[in-house]
Amino acid sequence: MSVTFDILLLLFLITTALAVARAKDLLAAAIIFSSYSLVMCLLWQHRGAPDVAMTEAAVGAGITTVLFLVAIARTTRREK
Amino acid sequence: MKKAFVAALLIITAIPLLIGVAALPPHGETTAPVHTHISARYLMRGAEEAGADNIVTGVLLNYRGLDTAGEVTVIFTALVAGLAVLITRRKEPGAKADSAARGDVPAPPPVSPVVSFVVQLLAPFIALFAVYVILNGHVTPGGGFQGGAILGALFIALTIVLGEGRTRSLMPRLALPWMQGAALISFVVVGVLGAGLTGYFLGFPAEASLHLVRELMMLVLEAGIGLGGAAIFATLFLQMEAE
Repeated sequence: MSVTFDILLLLFLITTALAVARAKDLLAAAIIFSSYSLVMCLLWQHRGAPDVAMTEAAVGAGITTVLFLVAIARTTRREK
Repeated sequence: MKKAFVAALLIITAIPLLIGVAALPPHGETTAPVHTHISARYLMRGAEEAGADNIVTGVLLNYRGLDTAGEVTVIFTALVAGLAVLITRRKEPGAKADSAARGDVPAPPPVSPVVSFVVQLLAPFIALFAVYVILNGHVTPGGGFQGGAILGALFIALTIVLGEGRTRSLMPRLALPWMQGAALISFVVVGVLGAGLTGYFLGFPAEASLHLVRELMMLVLEAGIGLGGAAIFATLFLQMEAE
């Protein structure tokens, strides 16, 4: 069960990573990247690293995404 | 042609990596090198030696205190570098007038009343949780970095909901540089204090009678890292948002 859960999370991670790399819409990429961080946070927690999980949730899913969004708002939404 | 070259390069890189991963000891094996060297001692004696029930905090602040001081310096330097770029761009003569004259800057959409209400409702609880995470870092998972990130995120959420004017007062102009450097300052203060007590920079007294002093030093470090981290995140956000 535990390993199945890990494998599911890892598959989701790979999918989101590919989706971020392929997305032409930078806003979509930032949001997908945020969900990547959230899944990564679950994975850290599940592998017994709650300290890292907290950092990942706050910095990866929270602040980094906001900074990305601000940067997109300042520049352009489309990848050239 | 180019795609085939890239694919070949990827495969050539992947093969040694996969071989290396296959040669790693199985996950959780007790005889793996990672469990037989220094981490075994951390786990056995960490709680009494480092003065933190949370071994991660013990390693971060006590055993590897200098590394953490370096990390804090890196974060502070990142802020300085970010500000250097952002402020120069902001002061460019005519840049502001130019973008306003173009008139193509879309007005920010109004914040949804639901989001606004929920953020304001949760704000005190999030703030309390952040302080708990910072001050309890030596007992439960978390610590300065985590709590500071939560505080910074709270500040950003409030700025989005309430507008910059009402949250700026949380970062007084005179105290702001001290808040941004709080982590560095706390490391220097605690490091010098440790040098006085033990003879080593950032040394923590190991005697059982001094465990309160040790705990206090850790608290000062955690509080400094937390406040500094939050101030750095908040400043970066405000600076990026500022037109």
